[in-house]
Amino acid sequence: MNRRSWAGLALASPALAIVAVFFIGPLVMSAVLAVRGKDGGLTTEHFAKAFEYYSTDLAFSAAIVVLSTLGIGIVAIAIAGYLTLGEHPRTLAFLRWLYRWPLFIPFIVTAQVMRTFLAKNGMLNHVLIGSGLIEPLQAQSLLDWRGIVIAFIWKQAPFVTLLLAGAMAAIDRQHIEAARNLGASRLRVLFEIVLPQARRTLLVGLVLSFVAMLSVLSVPMMINPNSPTMLTVDIAYRINSHGDYAVANALCLMSLVLASFGAWFYLREAARKAQA
Amino acid sequence: MRPFRLTLRVALVAAGTLLCKPLPAVAQTTLNVVTAGDQNMVDYVNNYLGPKFEAQNPGVKVRAVGTGPGDAGSQKIYEKLSAQQKAGTAAWDTDVAVVHQRGAATMVKESLLAPYTKEVSAGKMATRDSSRNALGQNVEGYVIPMFHSQIAFAYNPAVVKQPPKSYAELAEWVKKNPKQFGYNGVKGGMSGVGFVMGWVNANAGMGDQLVKGPYDASKKAVIDKSLASLKDFNQYVVMTPGNAGTLDMLNRGEIAMGPVWVDMFYTWVADGKMPPNVKLELPQPGLPGQPMYYVVPAKAANAALAKKFIDFAASPEIQAEGIVKQFNWYPGIDAQYVKAKMDEKSWNKLFTDITPDALASYGKPFPLSEYFTDILESYERVVLK
Repeated sequence: MNRRSWAGLALASPALAIVAVFFIGPLVMSAVLAVRGKDGGLTTEHFAKAFEYYSTDLAFSAAIVVLSTLGIGIVAIAIAGYLTLGEHPRTLAFLRWLYRWPLFIPFIVTAQVMRTFLAKNGMLNHVLIGSGLIEPLQAQSLLDWRGIVIAFIWKQAPFVTLLLAGAMAAIDRQHIEAARNLGASRLRVLFEIVLPQARRTLLVGLVLSFVAMLSVLSVPMMINPNSPTMLTVDIAYRINSHGDYAVANALCLMSLVLASFGAWFYLREAARKAQA
Repeated sequence: MRPFRLTLRVALVAAGTLLCKPLPAVAQTTLNVVTAGDQNMVDYVNNYLGPKFEAQNPGVKVRAVGTGPGDAGSQKIYEKLSAQQKAGTAAWDTDVAVVHQRGAATMVKESLLAPYTKEVSAGKMATRDSSRNALGQNVEGYVIPMFHSQIAFAYNPAVVKQPPKSYAELAEWVKKNPKQFGYNGVKGGMSGVGFVMGWVNANAGMGDQLVKGPYDASKKAVIDKSLASLKDFNQYVVMTPGNAGTLDMLNRGEIAMGPVWVDMFYTWVADGKMPPNVKLELPQPGLPGQPMYYVVPAKAANAALAKKFIDFAASPEIQAEGIVKQFNWYPGIDAQYVKAKMDEKSWNKLFTDITPDALASYGKPFPLSEYFTDILESYERVVLK
């Protein structure tokens, strides 16, 4: 290696050291603890136990997060699309001001708000009953999987919208105007002209949300800690109630596999972008 | 440049003055009290116990740290002490710890605690079974109960005219009144865990073996069988999010009945977060309750002061005023010493719905820790699948 590349390495070394000590180290430790038996030998019993007890929760976590990601995508496209193509200035200004608020609210606060908002005798049902939309007997609690999905969408959609609206704003306006001049409806412009050009940003935003939601403990803990629930609750439970780090680590690795789908997707997109 | 330098100088001088603030005349000793449990535990030490103890002992500062609710909180204290033991630290920075039974049992087993109860006068006043035995582990000499707490069914008498008197009656009742009973499973706090333990006690036919031992691993099959009926039961009930979640849903009228901690319940009523007409009931053959213990780590830095603090905290006066009257817990030391220090009315308030007799007959300890773990795991395998 020549002198220049040594200097480069030296400059990068603090960052690399931090990655090694705080990310790779704990990850390897976690993997080691997940496969080490009581006698110190190699074992798969922790994984077997994790599967036996929590395979439903693994599927539940995956389903919740995929569903939330789809919901976030729809909401983000709707808001960002209107921000780009909307024509009513006052509505535009209002929407632009309003949609970012959840960005600044932590997950745990979101969970707390939803806990009273979505309860059977909570605010949502009061409003629905008060406005005559449902009968009091029809009111039901949304504090199950639906509550988690609603909390996730509410919290993460603004983040993706922010990215997507930025990407859409960067598109050459001439494309949009040309299509409009030729008589395309706004909906058609959104789906055939704007969205394809901003697709990559949308996917990246969704992948980042996907991974973030997988790791949230507070929302499932506060809204629906009972079965089936998300893996994060089970991990906390194994550690807190049983002091059982082995199975907890096995569960962590399982959710890492889920998250790595997202990472794989992200890297693939990044590589394509680099090529293009 | 100049004005900037001047500002800098002024700032430095100001910072210097702040740092050199004269120290108090008496040397400060900080007594570190680390407590597991809900926020009310930290409040109790910070707002009530600490100031009183500081007033009696000039130069002492009581600092309370909370480690979180449930066994998880005790687990954190255990991990800290265990780490200090393994590191060979000479003086541990926890002077007094307040832990659950499971935590105390593990800590005694691993020699993390100092025996101290013979050296304090309050030690002679705590003679209940729970001051000698924690989930099957002999803890005599190492613990003084801070308080006892009990799980009971809370119900709304406006909806439930005749509450079920036993687990068997409850199982019938929920079928007639679906979605009116709620509990928080085993992952959302101890009131749900206690309900499940009570279910096994009522249905497994193991009698006292659950709480007195001996432990028999082959009983897992019996436990599994007793929980199979709970799976069926769960179809007719509401799962609530946590100890407070059950109380919340009772308060909003979404459920009519559910297991709660008695002290939390009374506190909620006192704070106006629960309609005052809601009542308590202790079903047959019983629900578990547990104490929290004052313990002194084996190498506490301020061991002598720690013992003095516990002696003060477990004295009949403090138990009467703080534990019973202000925080609605059942006393930690034997009842007769505390009752003598209180007016009849405040004492009776604690026993409005659950009489002392009912408490003695149907207030059970938690099962041995091995059975405890077996039951939790069986619940996940049998009920949640």
